[in-house]
Amino acid sequence: MGSSIAGTFPGSWPTADTAGPGTPLTMPAADDRPLDELDESGLVGACLAQRAGAFDLIVERHRRAVYQLCYRFVGNHEDASDLSQDVFLRAYRGLRSFRGQSTLATWLYRIGVNVCLNRVTAKTTLGKLTEPIEEKQFVDVRAESPSELMLKDERAARVRAAIAQLPRKQRAALIMRTYHEMSHQEIADVLGSSVGAVKANFFHALGNLKKLLAEGQ
Amino acid sequence: MHLNTEELVDVAEGSRPEASLPHLAACEPCRTQLRDLRAMMSAAQEVEVPEPSPLFWDHLSSRVHDAVEVGPPPARQWGFGLPRRSSRDVAASEGGEPSRFAFVASRWFQASVVVAAGVLLAVAVNLRTPAPAALPAVPPSVAVADASVPAELLSDVAADDASLTLVASLTDQVDLETAREAGLAPRGSADHAIAHLSDSELRELGRLLREELARSGA
Repeated sequence: MGSSIAGTFPGSWPTADTAGPGTPLTMPAADDRPLDELDESGLVGACLAQRAGAFDLIVERHRRAVYQLCYRFVGNHEDASDLSQDVFLRAYRGLRSFRGQSTLATWLYRIGVNVCLNRVTAKTTLGKLTEPIEEKQFVDVRAESPSELMLKDERAARVRAAIAQLPRKQRAALIMRTYHEMSHQEIADVLGSSVGAVKANFFHALGNLKKLLAEGQ
Repeated sequence: MHLNTEELVDVAEGSRPEASLPHLAACEPCRTQLRDLRAMMSAAQEVEVPEPSPLFWDHLSSRVHDAVEVGPPPARQWGFGLPRRSSRDVAASEGGEPSRFAFVASRWFQASVVVAAGVLLAVAVNLRTPAPAALPAVPPSVAVADASVPAELLSDVAADDASLTLVASLTDQVDLETAREAGLAPRGSADHAIAHLSDSELRELGRLLREELARSGA
């Protein structure tokens, strides 16, 4: 890629909620190592210190996970691609609020789930749930016969379509729990609800998934 | 008494042993529910996300890079004496806490300002007696469609036109994303079309270009 986007960063690092407007905030110590040697906090610091290419590297490291999260929500490539872009854009704008209390990946999930929950509507999912077969050709298909592959593909498409029709919080709980191995507490934090509510959403998501799959047969 | 949803989920996930719930051994409906839960968890786990084209990842990075580069800086000041979004609001909307509505509402307010500005401009232009020399460089559709045009670019044209000056001041802090959310982005542009091609369409475009280059001997 060309010039860095880091040059437009605000360049401040809030250390406490009590820091008032205009209060000088502590910048992370400068780390002159090459970007690809930095851990994630170093990389965030490099972004905020306006080092060229730092945010590009964050995108590169997390783009697959973010895309997969978005795809699980919407069930099609086009919307997942747009949502992924939006997630990173929002992450960039909100990077100052990342305080390292969770991993960068978890923080991005949090943004991703909220972007998906806000943007996903019936309009964006229905009608796009099943993509043409040629758009799925990059799934690793070794060691399976063509007929097995076709059946598996159809089954997967049905499950994906059913998941994309679940109510939003049920869908979020199912996706985060099943595919991203987040604990019920972490999911509760993201959704702003209780662990009990998350488990209930997960339970009903699985029940509705069964009904939707049965209806589709 | 049957197992509640939390107990069923815990047992289905294996975080709680079945033996700790003696009711389960004696209750067929609860056992059926547990079997169904496990079957659906297994069905969901098997589903993979289709791997996009290898070219997609760099394309996504480029899109993010470009979007960030042209976007507004964080927490910018919006006009009209509106309160500035606090860092807490920003963090909440990015991280997903309570004031999501306020954020969305403010975005829609900005978008509606763009639309209102466009309508105002159209009305102003229609009401004016013929003044062809002042307007031809910026037709109303352009000013509205590319709402991110900075005020200074419009100011040359608008210098002696009060209605254009008003529109320029209304739109100078509206970014591309806001304009797009308001349905004002130039969707017909070539860049927009290329950026939204599917992988198969991109491949077909590449094939056509190679064919054309071969035919022309380039």
